[in-house]
Amino acid sequence: MSRFIPNAPPDDRPQQIQDELEYGKLTNKKYLYVSKHAAGEPLPEPIEDEPPYYIYIATYVNYLILIIIGHIRDAFGKVFKPQDYQDLIEQNGYAPWYDGFENFYVRRLKLRIDDCFARPIHGAPGRYIKLFERRALGKGEYEFTGQSMECLNLSSYNYLGFAQSSGVCTDSALDVIDKYGTSACSPRSYVGTTDLHLETEQVIADFVGKEAAIIVSQGYGTNASLFSSLADSKCLVISDELNHASIRFGVRLSGAVVKVFKHNDMDALEFLLRQQISQGQPKTHRPWKKIIIAVEGLYSMEGNMCNLPKLIELKEKYKCYLFVDEAHSIGALGPNGRGICDYFQVSPSKIDLLMGTFTKSFGATGGYIAGSKPIIEKLRLTYITNNYSESVPPPVLAQIISSLRIIEGKLNPGEGKERLERIAFNSRYLRLGLKRLGFIVYGADDSPVIPVLLFFPAKMPVVSRVLYSMKIAVVIVGYPATPLTTSRVRLCVSSALTKEDLDYVLEKFSYVGDLAFLKYSSGIAGGSKVPGQPPRWSIKDVLEVNVEDCKKPQLP
Amino acid sequence: MAEHLLTTTVTETTTTTPTTTIPPTLELISSAIGDSFVHYLNKLDQIPGGQIILRYIRSSYKNDPVRSLFELALFIFAVHYFLSSKRKENKADIVKFSKLEIDELIKDWEPEPLVEEVNNLEKWQLSAIPKIKGWNKSHMTLYNEASGNNISSNVVNLASYDFLDLNENDNVHKAAKAEISTAGVGACGPPNFYGTQDVHVRLEEDLARFLQTEQSILYGQDFVTAGSVIPAYLKRGDLCIVDSGVNLAIQKALIVSRCNIEWYEHNDVDHLESILEELKPTLDKEPVRRRFIVTEGLFLNTGDICNLPKIVELKNKFKYRLFLDETLSIGVLGANGRGVVEHYNLSRLEISITIGTFAGSFASSGGFCAGVKPMVQHQRINSNAYTFSASLPPYSAIASSQSIKEIMNERTAAGNSKLIAQLHERTSHLYSKLTSIKTTFFKVTSNSNSPIIHISLSHQYRKALGLPAFYGNTHFLNTGKQARSLNEFSKAYNIESFLLQKIIDGVLFESNILITRSKSILDHENLPVISPQLLIMVNSGASLKELDLLAQTLEIIVNKVCKSVSNEARLLSLEDELLKYTKY
Ligand SMILES: Cc1ncc(COP(=O)(O)O)c(C=O)c1O
Repeated sequence: MSRFIPNAPPDDRPQQIQDELEYGKLTNKKYLYVSKHAAGEPLPEPIEDEPPYYIYIATYVNYLILIIIGHIRDAFGKVFKPQDYQDLIEQNGYAPWYDGFENFYVRRLKLRIDDCFARPIHGAPGRYIKLFERRALGKGEYEFTGQSMECLNLSSYNYLGFAQSSGVCTDSALDVIDKYGTSACSPRSYVGTTDLHLETEQVIADFVGKEAAIIVSQGYGTNASLFSSLADSKCLVISDELNHASIRFGVRLSGAVVKVFKHNDMDALEFLLRQQISQGQPKTHRPWKKIIIAVEGLYSMEGNMCNLPKLIELKEKYKCYLFVDEAHSIGALGPNGRGICDYFQVSPSKIDLLMGTFTKSFGATGGYIAGSKPIIEKLRLTYITNNYSESVPPPVLAQIISSLRIIEGKLNPGEGKERLERIAFNSRYLRLGLKRLGFIVYGADDSPVIPVLLFFPAKMPVVSRVLYSMKIAVVIVGYPATPLTTSRVRLCVSSALTKEDLDYVLEKFSYVGDLAFLKYSSGIAGGSKVPGQPPRWSIKDVLEVNVEDCKKPQLP
Repeated sequence: MAEHLLTTTVTETTTTTPTTTIPPTLELISSAIGDSFVHYLNKLDQIPGGQIILRYIRSSYKNDPVRSLFELALFIFAVHYFLSSKRKENKADIVKFSKLEIDELIKDWEPEPLVEEVNNLEKWQLSAIPKIKGWNKSHMTLYNEASGNNISSNVVNLASYDFLDLNENDNVHKAAKAEISTAGVGACGPPNFYGTQDVHVRLEEDLARFLQTEQSILYGQDFVTAGSVIPAYLKRGDLCIVDSGVNLAIQKALIVSRCNIEWYEHNDVDHLESILEELKPTLDKEPVRRRFIVTEGLFLNTGDICNLPKIVELKNKFKYRLFLDETLSIGVLGANGRGVVEHYNLSRLEISITIGTFAGSFASSGGFCAGVKPMVQHQRINSNAYTFSASLPPYSAIASSQSIKEIMNERTAAGNSKLIAQLHERTSHLYSKLTSIKTTFFKVTSNSNSPIIHISLSHQYRKALGLPAFYGNTHFLNTGKQARSLNEFSKAYNIESFLLQKIIDGVLFESNILITRSKSILDHENLPVISPQLLIMVNSGASLKELDLLAQTLEIIVNKVCKSVSNEARLLSLEDELLKYTKY
């Protein structure tokens, strides 16, 4: 037992077995699917199932109890254990680092389920993820046994399964260290530009179907620095309410005026556009210099997609610019993995700026901005990261180039196609299974992000811990990352998982669902066996027909 | 209990204002209110859950119904006021249009382009970015992007932040390769969701030990670190006193945090002291808020080193915390590369928040923040760029750990880092060579210990060329708020930069040594921007002979270029040359 994280235990199993644990072999050709949206068809409205109202009331009561107990503990704690509250009180003339109110949620709610977060791992987060065993000592302290446990990985953003420690991409990254070193050593505009950087930019631009692209060493930083080069206080940015923190931060940095519309509500967007264009800037009523609509391709907490066809229609009608963050959709959606445009069969030229990250589908890190050549050239001069921030390190570039080439079929022909079709199949397979078992899941049929709703904050740790004990690693998210009442488990599907892995997951979920009373669905979002009745299939019935049913154009 | 409290208050009132006749009535009213309040509170008792609320109200308001009632009234008033004022303002601001009018307005609206196109005068800046073929190391190959041809090989690289030349270090490579062979490249998840690997934790420990502080936390990119750390501690109403020469990352961070800002003259500790003195009486009257002094260690814009001993003395005297940006000084200053703090032989514990980068001397990638435990732990949930972004690639973490080991590994006779000693030797060697050049055209302006040597065109020469004292605007300095629009394109800034580029190209041609110049993006800078500077980044991989050669060539080239551009008209005539520039 040690307070320090142990070194990764050596693994002397044969290479082939280790590879299998990172990326499972396809067990049957039937387990493939091509994801795409039929061109011209309207986007099916995602139906969000609502649990019975008493679930909401109980959820609020759940919070109330947690908050009251938290306050009671605080009240007593401050008297009897003042040393625990040192960080919250003024000391020796210095204000505390943070005030108790700001910190209450963390201290009294999050800390109680701290063991479900930040579980340290080692090795590639592929099909299985290796978690260090640890025992909570309270107050966020842990003791480690030195052992680690392999869990099925439904938590990492490893959509196409490129988180691997062997194979073409790894070889390429290793090779690049010999030829380029480990670091880019300076910002792009100083001496941080090598031939490999320029090549990567061309490869990603071609992949997403734009003329040019700029790469950045971090996805968050890509957004955080971008908007300052696009907008100032006389411009308007219209942002989906569920946009990622990096977009919101970037827009705030730019000083532009921000208006938020209800998530994916195109009528609300149009209303806002009409109002804003006619009203102009506040007070002066001068026309806006420009209006930028910022949305995401695939929302990482909801699993639904933006309504791209409608957005393009609105953007053209109202002469606005459209920015789409494809962090989760690039690679993971579309018959060729080229993201949201590919999925909707829309020409990428209709979108002004396509942003995405390499962190997810490509097993690398960083982000890109792709656009027309004049736009990207100008950004090379005015984009903050280009002059003030580190450039992308070479091994990451190697991973990006090689994974993109595999997806395009230029490297290892056939491998990319299989990865794409596996994630499409796996996503639908797991989603349909969960629906039929009776869970409320959000999002689009083809989305590899599958949020399973728990509602009660207290059920988050239950689900996380029970699944952990069954060797399944999942991510739980609650307030403030989601609305107060909709705490959830977020599953990220990967090509690396086999159909048998998913069967195991479904079986265990079914067990946990019964155990923690999670099967709330009413059937309005589909999945029912008998129309009109809530779906409550047995696991056996689900598995019997799931392969065929999940390949139907619309999930039944 | 309530009555008892009330009567005491009332008697007190009576004793202080004996002539008043109100108290009995007041007593009557209050007790009536108190009674009914208690009555309703008791009703609460009967609904489920009400008991708990009741107990809660009782305990928090110490059974004083009048106070509770008063606060409730205040609350309702506040809500009402808040809502009504907003509604009124919005209504007044909205002009009513019919649907047709709106359509008309939409038809007439002509938005500006998303971004302006690159204008002809600034196009050269794109060509002036050096493109490296292959390895970015102390001796490298440059090529021309358009033709694909090599410009020169074996170029001495004095333009990189890899001061210690660790990007060429075999042990760092070995460690990185071993990690890629077990964990792949990307971390595929944010730190709080299975993105934390053993090597990340190890690096946090290694770094904390190296810096001699309690804990550290890793960020995915250097630039976002300040912008994420500062707003985690400084909010509206908090105060910071900031050096007016800080870099863009800190400027942006301060703007986002919305705290109150006081500026002191760049590196002027006397001014800092006078501001602290001046603020003290008002601050003493207020409740204690978070207060910081914010400075860089080694300044990006000027190459100055902050007067840390004095700042530490002041911050202790006036009870401020100190935020120190060691981005350029880490792995560079101090006998073991521990930064400005070691440079002055101070204790790291004096520094409340230290931030820095792994992408410089450590030849890796990412940023960090270090300090005491409660501070660091707070960021794990409350810092945007930490919680909402993927972890550093694991190989990158181990490369940084290895670089720290490399720095500490070989020791000089005095027991200090040999690598750092080498860098310092080269720095002072080149610095003395450059400062001994007799010229009226330029001046070495950076601190003698700075491995980034700044050379500015001299005051008199710039005056002869009709160049302004500074660029940009002073809006942020004067108001503490971001200017409403970006700085406009400056012809003078553009052409002065081009003049420096001519020197850089001349030096490269003559001696095969690449130096660089400051490349601030004028559009974004919120503080006044000093004249563009030539930058020489000393590199351990360059020999003393090569540095000598640089000093010699630089003198010749500067004289040549500057003599040919001796007045404003000549400077402006460079525009023709600039329009045709296609070097790299
Ligand atoms: C929509 C979106 N944009 C940007 C990012 C940030 O990317 P990175 O993790 O590479 O910093 C994320 C990551 O979670 C994201 O979901």
